[in-house]
Amino acid sequence: MLAPFAVAVIFAAGVRRLARALPPAHAVRLVSATSVVIAVASGFAAAVAAFTFAAQYSQVAALGDWSALSLRRIDPMWPAVGTVAAGAVIGCGVAAVFVVVRYVRALVSTLRAFRGLGADAHGLVVVEDARADAFTLPGVTGRVVVSTAMLRALPPAERRALLAHEASHLRHRHHVFLLITELSAAANPLLRPAVDAVRFGVERWADEDAATEIGDRCLVARALARASTAAAEPLRGERYALRMNARTFGPRARALLAPPPRPRRMLAAALAAVAVVTVASSFVVASGTESRFDQATIVTTAVSG
Amino acid sequence: MGITRRPGKPKASRRPGGLEQEVLAVLAAAGEPLTPAQVQEALGDGLAYTTVMTAMSRLHAKGILSRERVGRAFAYCWLDASTLAARRMHRLLETGDDRAAVLARFVAELGPEDGQLLEELLADGPDGDE
Repeated sequence: MLAPFAVAVIFAAGVRRLARALPPAHAVRLVSATSVVIAVASGFAAAVAAFTFAAQYSQVAALGDWSALSLRRIDPMWPAVGTVAAGAVIGCGVAAVFVVVRYVRALVSTLRAFRGLGADAHGLVVVEDARADAFTLPGVTGRVVVSTAMLRALPPAERRALLAHEASHLRHRHHVFLLITELSAAANPLLRPAVDAVRFGVERWADEDAATEIGDRCLVARALARASTAAAEPLRGERYALRMNARTFGPRARALLAPPPRPRRMLAAALAAVAVVTVASSFVVASGTESRFDQATIVTTAVSG
Repeated sequence: MGITRRPGKPKASRRPGGLEQEVLAVLAAAGEPLTPAQVQEALGDGLAYTTVMTAMSRLHAKGILSRERVGRAFAYCWLDASTLAARRMHRLLETGDDRAAVLARFVAELGPEDGQLLEELLADGPDGDE
């Protein structure tokens, strides 16, 4: 039952280094998928623990024709563990709901902002603004928003790199990977580092796509440098406070100046194995719990019959 | 650390819609009407005049560019979004939940250690001539 939590700890410890070793496209997919698996497995384990604990009280056991006494004898659940598990299930469930609510509200407000923005050029919208900025907004059909100040700050070749980067975010729906990893971390806070890894990973993924399309990694690095400088001046104050950890210029530029990371099958296979093991542990927990409750039921029938 | 420029692949292959976006970028940055010839020159890259012209008329058909006759050709101008919409966007940027709404800002907050790398990358100037 503790397996998913142990896996979560090990996974969280190594995820950042893992994400940088793999090609970003693989890293993002693998890390987010593994996070979901671990979150579901740990949530299931906690729910089972909470339920087993609750069933040791006769009021609850009566609902399912189990003998509370037998359950307590077969596999006693310490009150401490049980209460913690119950609290965790409720707390993390609420946290996950909050993530979803926040995301939906953000989606609604961005959709409202889209209206009146006018037509887009394959998703791109330019807004007149003295502040240099460029970002992608999620949605069924998302938008790439670039300010005129940002366009003027970059020469045409570097503009192309910027647009290719943002187009990659849209095309591969990076916000979905981010959302499911955020949900996983809400369900199991041990997975927080995975969110940072995915957030950085989608930037690297978009950088690599831009570099592939342009055919010049150094140019993309230069575009990143120049855009960072352009944005540094006007975008001060409370806007930075809204951002999560954004100190990624250095690692991204250095990664672009180096050759692209090669696929690492062993690493990817190891991650997949971790996910499989986690799923297997859930099945073990499920069957173990089922047999435990079955035993409790049989005893009751034997006594009453 | 010397930063050497690698020779690029032929840039003719663009993703679908990529050229239209670049054309829009040129016109929006210019802030004044431009002819296809001027846009073609700005983009370089060995693009054909007709290719650029087609992209511009497509943008015009979408209502993103306006155009007026200048001699034998058209001059296209970027149509700014309404101020109301722009204000809505600014409010979104300022109050939106960064995690979900404003995803993937291209630029990052710079740290003190980034200064040297920045300088090296930008030392070549906008054209990257070493």
